Amino acid sequence: MEQLKTIGRELAMGSQGGFGQSKEFLDLIKSIGETRSKNEEDRIVLREIETLKTRLANPNTPKFKLKEYLIRLLYVEMLGHDASFGYIYAVKMTHDENLLFKRTGYLAVTLFLNEDHDLIILIVNTIQKDLRSDNYLVVCAALNAVCRLINEETIPAVLPQVVELLGHQKEAVRKKAVMALHRFYQRAPGSVSHLISNFRKRLSDSDPGVMGATLCPLFDLITTDVNAYKDLVISFVNILKQVVERRLPKSFDYRQMPAPFIQIKLLKILGLLGNGDKKASEHMYTIVGDIMRKFDSTSNIGNAVLYECICCISSIHPNPKLLEAAADAISKFLKSDSHNMKYLGIDALGRLTKISPEIAEQHQLAVIDCLEDPDDTLKRKTFELLYKMTKSSNVEVIVNRMIDYMININDNHYKTEIASRCIELAEQFAPSNQWFIQTMNKVFEHAGDLVNAKVAHNLMRLIAEGFGEDDDTADSQLRSSAVESYLHIIGEPKLPSAFLQVICWILGEYGTADGKYSASYISGRLCDVAEAHSTDDIVKAYAVTALGKIYSFEIAAGRKAEVLPECESLIEELLASHSTDLQQRAYEVQAIVGLDAHAVENIMPMDASCEDIEIDKSLSFLNGYIQQAIEKGAQPYVSESERSGMSNISNFKSQEQHESLMHSLRFEAYELPKSSMAPHVPPVLASSTELVPVPNPYNHTEVHYSATPMPSVSNAGSSELKLRLDGVQKKWGRPSYSSPAPSTSNNDAPKIQNGTTQRDSVGSANSKARDVSYDSRKPQVEISPEKQKLAASLFGGPSKSDRRQSSSSQKVPKNNSHSANKSHVEKTATSDTVAVKTSQPPQDLLDLGEPTGTSIPPSLDPFKQLEGLLDLTQDSTTLNTGGGSGTDAPDIMSLYADMSLSGQGNENPLSTGNDSASLLSGFSDAANRNGHGVNTVPQLTQQLSKGQNHKDSLEKDALVRQMGVTPSGQNPNLFKDLLG
Amino acid sequence: MIRGVIVMNDRGKPRLVKFYEFQPAEKQQELIRSIYRVLCSRAENVSNFVKVDSLFGQDVRLVYKTFATLYFVFIFDSSENELAMLDLMQVFVETLDKVFSNVCELDVVFNFNKVHTILEEFILGGQVLETNSSEVVKTVEEILKMERAANSIKVVPSIPGWQGR
Repeated sequence: MEQLKTIGRELAMGSQGGFGQSKEFLDLIKSIGETRSKNEEDRIVLREIETLKTRLANPNTPKFKLKEYLIRLLYVEMLGHDASFGYIYAVKMTHDENLLFKRTGYLAVTLFLNEDHDLIILIVNTIQKDLRSDNYLVVCAALNAVCRLINEETIPAVLPQVVELLGHQKEAVRKKAVMALHRFYQRAPGSVSHLISNFRKRLSDSDPGVMGATLCPLFDLITTDVNAYKDLVISFVNILKQVVERRLPKSFDYRQMPAPFIQIKLLKILGLLGNGDKKASEHMYTIVGDIMRKFDSTSNIGNAVLYECICCISSIHPNPKLLEAAADAISKFLKSDSHNMKYLGIDALGRLTKISPEIAEQHQLAVIDCLEDPDDTLKRKTFELLYKMTKSSNVEVIVNRMIDYMININDNHYKTEIASRCIELAEQFAPSNQWFIQTMNKVFEHAGDLVNAKVAHNLMRLIAEGFGEDDDTADSQLRSSAVESYLHIIGEPKLPSAFLQVICWILGEYGTADGKYSASYISGRLCDVAEAHSTDDIVKAYAVTALGKIYSFEIAAGRKAEVLPECESLIEELLASHSTDLQQRAYEVQAIVGLDAHAVENIMPMDASCEDIEIDKSLSFLNGYIQQAIEKGAQPYVSESERSGMSNISNFKSQEQHESLMHSLRFEAYELPKSSMAPHVPPVLASSTELVPVPNPYNHTEVHYSATPMPSVSNAGSSELKLRLDGVQKKWGRPSYSSPAPSTSNNDAPKIQNGTTQRDSVGSANSKARDVSYDSRKPQVEISPEKQKLAASLFGGPSKSDRRQSSSSQKVPKNNSHSANKSHVEKTATSDTVAVKTSQPPQDLLDLGEPTGTSIPPSLDPFKQLEGLLDLTQDSTTLNTGGGSGTDAPDIMSLYADMSLSGQGNENPLSTGNDSASLLSGFSDAANRNGHGVNTVPQLTQQLSKGQNHKDSLEKDALVRQMGVTPSGQNPNLFKDLLG
Repeated sequence: MIRGVIVMNDRGKPRLVKFYEFQPAEKQQELIRSIYRVLCSRAENVSNFVKVDSLFGQDVRLVYKTFATLYFVFIFDSSENELAMLDLMQVFVETLDKVFSNVCELDVVFNFNKVHTILEEFILGGQVLETNSSEVVKTVEEILKMERAANSIKVVPSIPGWQGR
């Protein structure tokens, strides 16, 4: 320790004159540096704040001191303490004539204030003046401040000057003026919309730096409105060409590359402009191809440009030649040792799979590697890729992987994201109902409280509605399997509330439906749930309603509902619950148990949760009841407009209409009738028996009402179930619900219906198709073990684990399909594409080789195509493939034509292709070598930087210096000062 | 666009903080802390990129790199290229090295206003303005010359007992 102190002292003494700051400041930083705890630091900083407060307020403080105090204040705020008392001094300092003070003032205000701060108004004037200054450094300082501090209201005050500065003689000023204008555009597009043409003008600025700066606003503008800038395609391509041909001054070179940052920006812009625009894209092919051929894989920035090329290629209208080059580049990225390169490779792969799905398959192994990489960033990126390339053939593997990963992460944000992705994929591609339910169970089990409440409702609805429309047995199988799995899961501790709700609802609706489980068993389990989650009112509500359903189904079936003692006590307990909702539910259950079969059947019809409800909005069925009440002396209903202003509480006599006035009074709504009605029949049901005239809707609503829990179900998650509930509530609840609810529920119903039907057909088609193909492929299950291994590793890891948990019979044929695919790929590079597209003239295909395949629309599944080949009886898939390739044919032809057009510059596209390929492979070696060289350095640094004590860190830096690891590579002494 | 630039030391103490969208002081601290936590949890020898969409919103990532005792962090959205950001950071550090002739953490601490000046030449309003280190050095030197001409400041030459952190 002592030794360290000495070193530190020497250090401090040696470094050029104490950093030009006062002793006080040095002391402050030193003492903060020496603190051992946050408290200690806070104490020091608070003392500093007190000092600064008095010093700054002192009118006799000299200016240079003021400046230092301001910097100390900035430092204090950076450490997280409030420095707002000093803002005004910063503002004052901007008024100073002295450049040093002025700049300090501007720095302080840009760091302290946001653009809506009250003090800004005091600066605008100064900014205006400074923008007119003769000293361009003052102008620059003002422009810096403008970028940060000017808001929509103050833009007009400085706009004319900024526009004027676009023509300033200094290019540094022009550049900053462009940026300022860009900033205005970001902040308030309307205020500068008439000036946007200036950006176009600046594109041809004599200084390439200004041109480069202009690309930033243009990129933004083009993102918002591509079509307005199509005319610039040629200009951008020309600029890019000039850049690549090194026409810019040498000063723009970086790491021997001509203006790579400008290249990247231009490629981004071209990507936007060429997206979905064949004509625009044609202009770009040559130049992008040139860049890819010339790129320098030895430097970081070279790879950045290459990656940007791939992004551009994947965005513009596809060109087979370029796609091939991009695929090559990707494989180089993926083979690199650097995680950064792999990350870019995976990202690029994700972009390219949309256009040519088979590229991802070529890199299966690399992808699997990345999936198992310890680097979380890379892993997440890879999951993103998998998400993009999911289709019905690999959904099981991918989703299982995702779930496995999801279980182990703590970051809730990401967990939510990946959970909803799992659900999305499962809903979209589920191969079977069984699998779907199992998957959903897993997701809910581990992330149930994170996913949208809507998902839970979707699951309930899905199980209730079933997959196959006309196949009732399949539906009931689905339900039984759901019930089975839920009974299995239900005992586990710590299930998320949303999941328990689903479980209770399903058990209530379908627990006894198939007769496998007795009512008392199910009700016992439900009771357990309610007891185990006694703090969760929603779950309890679901459970108790489910109980009610079980009993009513029993009664409706002509049996006696035997209420288990524990259920009875649960209901007893809830009768006295503080939650009115629970209370009501308990009363309902109690009432149901006492009713006869006929009444119960009307209240709780079996499996009717999906039937539509007709809603009598005018509540005409209540007329008789109202009449009666009025005859008995109740006051007639006064509409809301009439009674506004009345102090309504005291006027209450007839509860029925008035309770809707304020929902704070909803308590009474349930309690008052109790006294007037038959003792053990609660009010809701009592009225419902009276309302037999319109039995159907009412009964159904009853079911839904009980199915859907009340307030805590968020509106965002409102599904049809929820909406129907609103329809009911209008009678009892707030008045505002009544009108919108029924209409929305009506609108929703058909839509949802469509969704499921679609899924149904897809799902069943898939599963059928698969079944057939399994059979057909069984004979050739045996393929060389080596290939099988390879194929297994396609999604290898998972398939191993899968075999453990699910039926192996399903998996084997699947692996087989991969290996079949593989073998095709391996035989010849082109065979698979040729084979699939037998309907086309073969010579063209051979000419184009692999690229033909790249034009297959992403929706086509190569596995499917192979299946089609293997078994022609599979009409659904083969038809699909046939249709796809049929429509493809003209496209491919035209593509070929495009190619030869665009390839004019290259003379012979094929030969250049070969050249470039060999060139690229040469580069790749270099890249690898270089990758190693570069890599060890940060590795070392990082490794070493983890050293706990100072000695370690000293040693490490000595080492680092020996290796010459400085940012510049020219200055090995970068950190010498610090470490002596 | 670039959302922010943070320089902090390996104990999570901020040395330079610049956000291009205003962040209130407490929020800044929170962000710095969360970023520090993320960076600490990163294994060695992994990529320099981290997705931070939970902190900054969709598609926002950061690039970080350690130089001796300092973490340099650039936060940016999808309109920037990760590798290019890494190189920009490199250029930034090179420039610091040139301006301070052998930069160290203390230089950054004591002259963070100067570091801000340098950063302003590179990034303005969240957009990359300049990528050439010698150009920036030239400009900054010009600014410093003007400033010196305008004023001279007392220099305290020693910090006794400094511990080297």
